[in-house]
Amino acid sequence: MSAATVPERGTRPALPPAVTKGLLALIVFVVVPATMSAIGGGYLYGIATMALIFIILASSLNLVTGTAGLLSLGHAGFYGIGAYVAAILSTRMGLPFLITMPAAGVIAGAIGVVVALPTMRLVSIYFAVATLGIGQMIFVTLLNWTDFTRGPMGIRGIPPITILGWQPHSPMQQYMVVALTTVASLWILSRLTHSYFGNALRAVREDDQCASAMGLNVVQLKIVAFGTSCFFAGIAGALLAHTANFISPDQFQFGESINILAMVVVGGLGSLPGAVIGALLLVILPEALRGVGDFRMIAIGSVMFFSILLLPKGLLGEASALGLLRRQFGEAWSDGLGPRVGWR
Amino acid sequence: MLDIYLVQQIINGLSIGLVYALMAIGFTLIFGVLNVVNFAHGEVYMVGAFAGLMLITATAPPLLAVVLVVLAVGAMTGVGLERLAFKPFRRFRDEASLRSRAMREATLLSSLAVSIVAREVMTLVFGSNMQTIPQAFLLQHPIRLGVLSITDGDLIIFGASVVMLGALQYLLFRTRVGLSIRAVANSPLGAQFVGINTDRAIMATFAVGSMLGAVAGILVGLYSGTITPMMGFAPGIKAFVAMVMGGLSSIPGAVICALLLGVSESITTEFLASGWQDLVAYSFLIATLVFFPQGLFGVGRDRA
Repeated sequence: MSAATVPERGTRPALPPAVTKGLLALIVFVVVPATMSAIGGGYLYGIATMALIFIILASSLNLVTGTAGLLSLGHAGFYGIGAYVAAILSTRMGLPFLITMPAAGVIAGAIGVVVALPTMRLVSIYFAVATLGIGQMIFVTLLNWTDFTRGPMGIRGIPPITILGWQPHSPMQQYMVVALTTVASLWILSRLTHSYFGNALRAVREDDQCASAMGLNVVQLKIVAFGTSCFFAGIAGALLAHTANFISPDQFQFGESINILAMVVVGGLGSLPGAVIGALLLVILPEALRGVGDFRMIAIGSVMFFSILLLPKGLLGEASALGLLRRQFGEAWSDGLGPRVGWR
Repeated sequence: MLDIYLVQQIINGLSIGLVYALMAIGFTLIFGVLNVVNFAHGEVYMVGAFAGLMLITATAPPLLAVVLVVLAVGAMTGVGLERLAFKPFRRFRDEASLRSRAMREATLLSSLAVSIVAREVMTLVFGSNMQTIPQAFLLQHPIRLGVLSITDGDLIIFGASVVMLGALQYLLFRTRVGLSIRAVANSPLGAQFVGINTDRAIMATFAVGSMLGAVAGILVGLYSGTITPMMGFAPGIKAFVAMVMGGLSSIPGAVICALLLGVSESITTEFLASGWQDLVAYSFLIATLVFFPQGLFGVGRDRA
């Protein structure tokens, strides 16, 4: 569905884009809430809200890891910064949601840029390690700075979403607010990835030396991409704080960064619809398996392992998974001269 | 008074640092040979601790026997890990793909996935609580040296680390296996040209690295008295930091940096609440990456 794959496969979209968008909006704003209200469950709304929050996280990570090719292992840290900023602003200063949410995004984004300034010149694994360290530093700070963040006890009683005096009481109204924010974030991210900016990021991902030789300011591009991604992680954190009403540091551990990364990998690096599907899959699948036992992380780990093994490009990655299948099974009718250069 | 406390902290830090060093060597060996990061190394450490504990609760053998069995378990875990998380991604044989970033990131993620699954399966089987260790096996008997007080665990960790580091040097520089490991680390393609079985050398690397990691696991488990499925994560990260600080493929560098890390962490507890000590490792990591991108003891590498 991304710009890069459509011409590659030589197919035209089956439906005009406006119809596709309308259908998606219909599903998100009418079908899903109607179904959940019919089944009747605040619990289902909780899962749906979580799924939406993780959709924002996965698609924002996708901008950095998928489009710009910088493996970030500390995304949960910025998610945590957003959540804590929103929680502290609203509990201590009584600021409304309409101020805390942008503030959370801006502060997370600003910290992201500050972090990015020294680390952006690092490449590949060094950058991954640096983001891992930064994510853990944020986690340790949230955990130990007890005067400010209340440490391991977390922050309770965060006021729910209020918009200009209107307070959504039912879970459905809350879901609607979160869904609206998610759709807006997705729209911005998709415009970003399909612009010249996005193409420049792809160039950086494919070969940063070549991109810089062609006159792109690689470091600046990476910093902007990282800052934007952290901004949206902060927004997701604020949504979490205001919908769950309770946050604690262990929601923002290393494991959560991996979880978000798994969503992007499963969905396919570089594909926004892929990130959305990956997030849905990895939020809903563990909930569906809850009855079987506490298999949540095992499910996530195995889904991630097998998707890397069998679908290196993910479900909707920027190069098709079909090519891989052909190369894998094409061996059956090859000349049988044994291993050649290329796929086994 | 403060002085003695400081010396005491330095001794504690050294024994923690040696443990990080044992793990960091495993990381470094594997990175040197395959140019990939093995995120499941912390789980090898955890598996080593559990294997030792099960042996202890079953038959109560002498410590040396426990260490030997854990060595064997570590080697098997390492080989299994390599088969599961690394071998399937080594489908290419040409030079470009041996250096390719995609392959490196695929194994990074696959080892991460395997480590998550291993940790969670262990949690399901053993529960996430601390395991009870028979009192007689805890390495916490105090030994008084004048005003200082150390435990027998400090001595055993020190002794075991020195012996294993020595054995590693012997293995790497005096045996054929070591020669093939060093050859593959130097140039995978060149090693294939001269007829070295690279797959076997890689497997040997995983076995050796994981043996060191597993023994570190059981020693720390008995020394600190905490064996849980989660125990591998923090030392894994610290060892990783030590490896990066040491320059990614320098074993002496990793050992020195691991000792430095251990000592500075335990000195930090003198100034700050103990929760903050983890911050030391991460600050070191960021500072090293920003100011010494090649590590403190590293040589220049390709930046690809």
